[in-house]
Amino acid sequence: MNMQPDVSVSSSSRVGAARVGIGGPVGSGKTALIERLIPAFAKRGVSLAIVTNDLVTAEDAERIRRSGLIDPARVSAVEAGACPHTVIREDPTLNIAAADELEARFPDVELILIESGGDNLASTFSLDLVDWWMFVIDVAGGDDIPRKNGPGVLKCDLLVVNKTDLAPHVGVDLEQMERDAAKARAGRPMVLTNCRAGQGIDAIVDQILASVLFR
Amino acid sequence: MSIGLDSTLLVALQHADSQFPSGGFAFSQGLEASSQLSARLGPCNFDDFLETQLRHRWAAADRVALARAHRLAGDLAKLAELDFEVEASTFVEGLRAGSRRNGVALLTTHSRIGTTGAGAYRALIAEGKALGHLAVVQGLLWRQLGLDEPTAVAMGGYQAAASLATAAVRLGLVGAIQSQALLGKALTIIAEVSPAPIADDEPIRSFTPLAEIAVALHGASGQRLFSN
Repeated sequence: MNMQPDVSVSSSSRVGAARVGIGGPVGSGKTALIERLIPAFAKRGVSLAIVTNDLVTAEDAERIRRSGLIDPARVSAVEAGACPHTVIREDPTLNIAAADELEARFPDVELILIESGGDNLASTFSLDLVDWWMFVIDVAGGDDIPRKNGPGVLKCDLLVVNKTDLAPHVGVDLEQMERDAAKARAGRPMVLTNCRAGQGIDAIVDQILASVLFR
Repeated sequence: MSIGLDSTLLVALQHADSQFPSGGFAFSQGLEASSQLSARLGPCNFDDFLETQLRHRWAAADRVALARAHRLAGDLAKLAELDFEVEASTFVEGLRAGSRRNGVALLTTHSRIGTTGAGAYRALIAEGKALGHLAVVQGLLWRQLGLDEPTAVAMGGYQAAASLATAAVRLGLVGAIQSQALLGKALTIIAEVSPAPIADDEPIRSFTPLAEIAVALHGASGQRLFSN
């Protein structure tokens, strides 16, 4: 065995599975979205693995592992050290290592979804960690969220407005919310979803296939 | 008048900075569990916890492993042997796993920025031929960066204390300003214990039973902010 260290191991370029971040506030429906995306990607023949960042419990990872939708070994949980921003932005190394390990264990994986721990509207993903990321907000969180100009809403590659079915029950004008979001994002992509009914899921899969997997 | 700057000092500042991505923010070395389990294990005072960790764990375990790794000068086979020695010397699984994850996370950054030896050692870990314990990885990498042994030991001690102080702030045990006062006190302890001689085959040892019991109990907890 050659134990001499490499002299010039580099660096920023990486060959492997595409990595997609899913961020958003607590309760916006990130885990429910993943539960819908798993079968949708399976239908398109995309080999998938998942990294979750649970803040206080391993509940999200366990929920996905027990869902029966995916091999539990393809789901990895990273504990965030009380800081969900840090683990996806300032110091994403634990997530990178978890994704690298999934890639090594499952060489056929084409796409790794990395779900952030729930947080407020200021969280963004480091491009050291992901190639592309979406931010999930929900109608019941308030129709003023797009007007607050949170970095998550503004900077993500795809904004997902979830729980559209709740709009009439929480006094939200969904069309106005959609217009506000489109204005805040200057026309960058946005999808309206109702994860419980599976509405809008195919549109997200289409976006990822086109923008990330180049299919 | 010109001011001469030592470029190695600048390198040390970069790599000791908590901003350097290493995953260290996710570990509390038993502080979280000790604070949660005070009714069973006795009062948890961060000041005492920090001093205990430095005197009875870092000084004789992490400092020794780091210095020995530094002396191996990039000999990956011998570093791997040392890695397994650290594994065998660390009693509680939560601390072993935390040290491995922290070390691999640090290697991940160095591998991407092209530090000599990082990619090769990471490959050994992937093959199961090494483990990636933090102190071993620090000794390997900081030597490759041209930092001498006393500097590397100081950086390791500073990071051990600073990461505990950060954890204490996040847990609400102390305020951010108070934590700096305690960190200042910790630096004097690090300076006091660091000169103790380290033989090339110095055993790795520690004695922090309450913290280890807390980590073991923490491992079974379904609710926690830190990995250990």
